[in-house]
Amino acid sequence: MTTQSTGYAFPFFSTIGRRGEAFFTHLGKYCSLMWWMVKNLSNAREYSGNIAQQMVLIGNNSMLIVVFVATFVGMVTSVQSAYQLYAWIPRTVVGSLVIKSVLLELTPLLTALVLAGKVGATITAELGSMRVSEQVDALEALAFDSISFLITPRILAGIIMFPILVVFGDVMAVLGGLFGAVTISHISAAAFISGMKSSFEVWDGVFGIIKATFFGFTITSIACYQGYFVEGGSEGVGKATMGTVVLTCLAVVVMDFVLASILL
Amino acid sequence: MILIENIWKQFSGKQVHRGISFDVREKETLVVLGKSGGGKSVLLKMVIGLIKPDAGRILVDGKNVVEMTYPELRALRFKFGFLFQGAALFDSMTVGENIALSLRRHADFAHGEIRDRIDYALHIVGLDNVQHVMPSSLSGGMKKRVGLARSIALTPRYMLYDEPTTGLDVATADGINLLINELRSSLGVTSIVVTHDIHSAFVVGDRFAVLEKGETLMTGTREEIQNSDNEEVRKYINSSISPSESGHA
Repeated sequence: MTTQSTGYAFPFFSTIGRRGEAFFTHLGKYCSLMWWMVKNLSNAREYSGNIAQQMVLIGNNSMLIVVFVATFVGMVTSVQSAYQLYAWIPRTVVGSLVIKSVLLELTPLLTALVLAGKVGATITAELGSMRVSEQVDALEALAFDSISFLITPRILAGIIMFPILVVFGDVMAVLGGLFGAVTISHISAAAFISGMKSSFEVWDGVFGIIKATFFGFTITSIACYQGYFVEGGSEGVGKATMGTVVLTCLAVVVMDFVLASILL
Repeated sequence: MILIENIWKQFSGKQVHRGISFDVREKETLVVLGKSGGGKSVLLKMVIGLIKPDAGRILVDGKNVVEMTYPELRALRFKFGFLFQGAALFDSMTVGENIALSLRRHADFAHGEIRDRIDYALHIVGLDNVQHVMPSSLSGGMKKRVGLARSIALTPRYMLYDEPTTGLDVATADGINLLINELRSSLGVTSIVVTHDIHSAFVVGDRFAVLEKGETLMTGTREEIQNSDNEEVRKYINSSISPSESGHA
């Protein structure tokens, strides 16, 4: 009675309390899931057979959309950079701006956001469907470690494939930038490449790859968590899938800021 | 032997089990009868440690499942076959791959031997030439048969059946019942069948445990439960059984 009346008397604090409790419950379960996965990494027999398949699903099947997005991001960056420059600023700056923006920020972030929707939603829907149709229980009943069998290969594949996708994206974004500069902004290819060379630093590319690795882990692990613990039948799967897209996008932008603050 | 002793379980504040107890003897088929939503499937999952009870003991061959570590649970699960209500076939794999999964992982069979075992398991359940078919192309009854073939591929000592005939037409359900009896006689398995289908229960069961409101109303043979003095048991049996079936009893 006391709890209920307190809840009604202070609905704001009651809501905060409930949400806080739910948040820390989820966080605890997520950490337990990750700890279980890490603890059993040495048991490679459980998951090694599925990694290649997941790499194809996450990597190969996402290549086209990543390349498409990165190419247009490069083109837009190039055209908008040229548009913003005063006439007296040398055109080579466009190449510098494109290479820096693309390697440090645009390709890793936009690739992650696109894949949060595509890969994250797919993983949650797959695992969620398996959960509600008792396939996860069936795996356990057949004496499989369902976490190692289902979750570990997906996360490892994400950690491996996201950086590779980002490298492809970087290349296509630079080529897109060159194309945009030459065809739309009428900057010579030589000027664009000269500007790019003058600003290029290996660390910029490495930083993007590090970010992609973290994004790969974040997106796949959140998606796996959401799918593995689905409740409430097919409606629950739908909610969890939507939750994955929202959560992974938020997590990616926060992590983007944290990594930039620490590493740059 | 399986002994279920004073099991208590609640979900989200709802008390599902209130001290359920019964035993399953060697090579018998015990049928757990009760209304839908009464926690029968949960009980079955507790036997192999998929769900933990809040209180009580489950002894399999004298060892308490509730206190087992994860590696011990996995070792225990080798002894069990589990037919899930919806068969729970892995829908990204073919029928053959579904059956081969545990054979590849848990036994050192050569490729040809695995193929032979798949053929044998499918033959036992009356399905041939479906190894390369995807589960989505199968009917409900065929899915249950494949689920059964997958469960018996590693020749378990115990079989757990969760509503094996639910959602099937009478002829297909009879086929599944026949199969459960054949498995008991050919493999000598000890089985627990969870069902609310009293007709199916009487075809496959040696003994019966009747659950009501989370408690065990009684355990006994068909004759014992049909002649029970317990008002609740009589009410349950009479409400579930059709006039023609009661006439044969």
